[in-house]
Amino acid sequence: MMEFIVFLGVCFMFGGLAVASNPSPYYGVVGLVVASAAGCGWLVSLGVSFVSLVLVMVYLGGMLVVFVYSVSLAADPYPEAWGDWGVVGYGLGMGLVIVVGIVVGVGQEWLVSGNTVNNEGLLFTRSDFDGVALFYSWGAGLFLIGGWGLLLTLFVVLELVRGLSRGAIRAV
Amino acid sequence: MSHLHLCFYSAFVLSGLGLAFHRTHLISALLCLESMMLSMYVALAMWPIHTQTTSSNLLPVLMLTFAACEAGTGLALLVASTRTHGSDHLHNFNLLQC
Repeated sequence: MMEFIVFLGVCFMFGGLAVASNPSPYYGVVGLVVASAAGCGWLVSLGVSFVSLVLVMVYLGGMLVVFVYSVSLAADPYPEAWGDWGVVGYGLGMGLVIVVGIVVGVGQEWLVSGNTVNNEGLLFTRSDFDGVALFYSWGAGLFLIGGWGLLLTLFVVLELVRGLSRGAIRAV
Repeated sequence: MSHLHLCFYSAFVLSGLGLAFHRTHLISALLCLESMMLSMYVALAMWPIHTQTTSSNLLPVLMLTFAACEAGTGLALLVASTRTHGSDHLHNFNLLQC
């Protein structure tokens, strides 16, 4: 079971490498989707299923969809993928980070970390349900601050993209 | 350091390097920023698993809220810059001339 968790962790790392080697944005989004899918599987395997579902719905289903629509602004006639030498060079150079990390980890003889957060019985929830439910009881102030921030962001975005005569960023 | 910690630490550092060594498109830099947010989310979700304190499960969800705000603002900046400069190539953004 731990091998599967480590495999998902490695997929997460390679998804991050795929985004960081800066191919054309069409292919960068693929790396980000792979990394977030691997991250969700990883969190479910470790036992916190609620935060994994939140990640899928908000991050993958909300933010990445908007990013995919915005990638249409970056249309290249000949997009660079991971087979082009510039991208391979960047990928190998950044892969050295992974090599350094493994060398340091093996040097410190990998601590084992394999605990889950299951509860017993039929009517009990896992630990992260109780944690996130604090948003509605003791964390109500944080909830309101988060909601206020989101509302404010809506108006910020509206002002930034308005731009006909009184917009925030305009050169002409 | 545990091997699971290596995975999200190195994903964070790799995305930070990808943000620093950006090439042509502004949106690839924004995608690297999103990847940093993702690795921070996974790191914050790991913490209550290791320490078995349930109240810390609040933090990844709160962080995702503000990451969504930041992604929306970054994309609005991308749209505004693309409408002004015609494309999102970073070498065209030379109004500061430095």
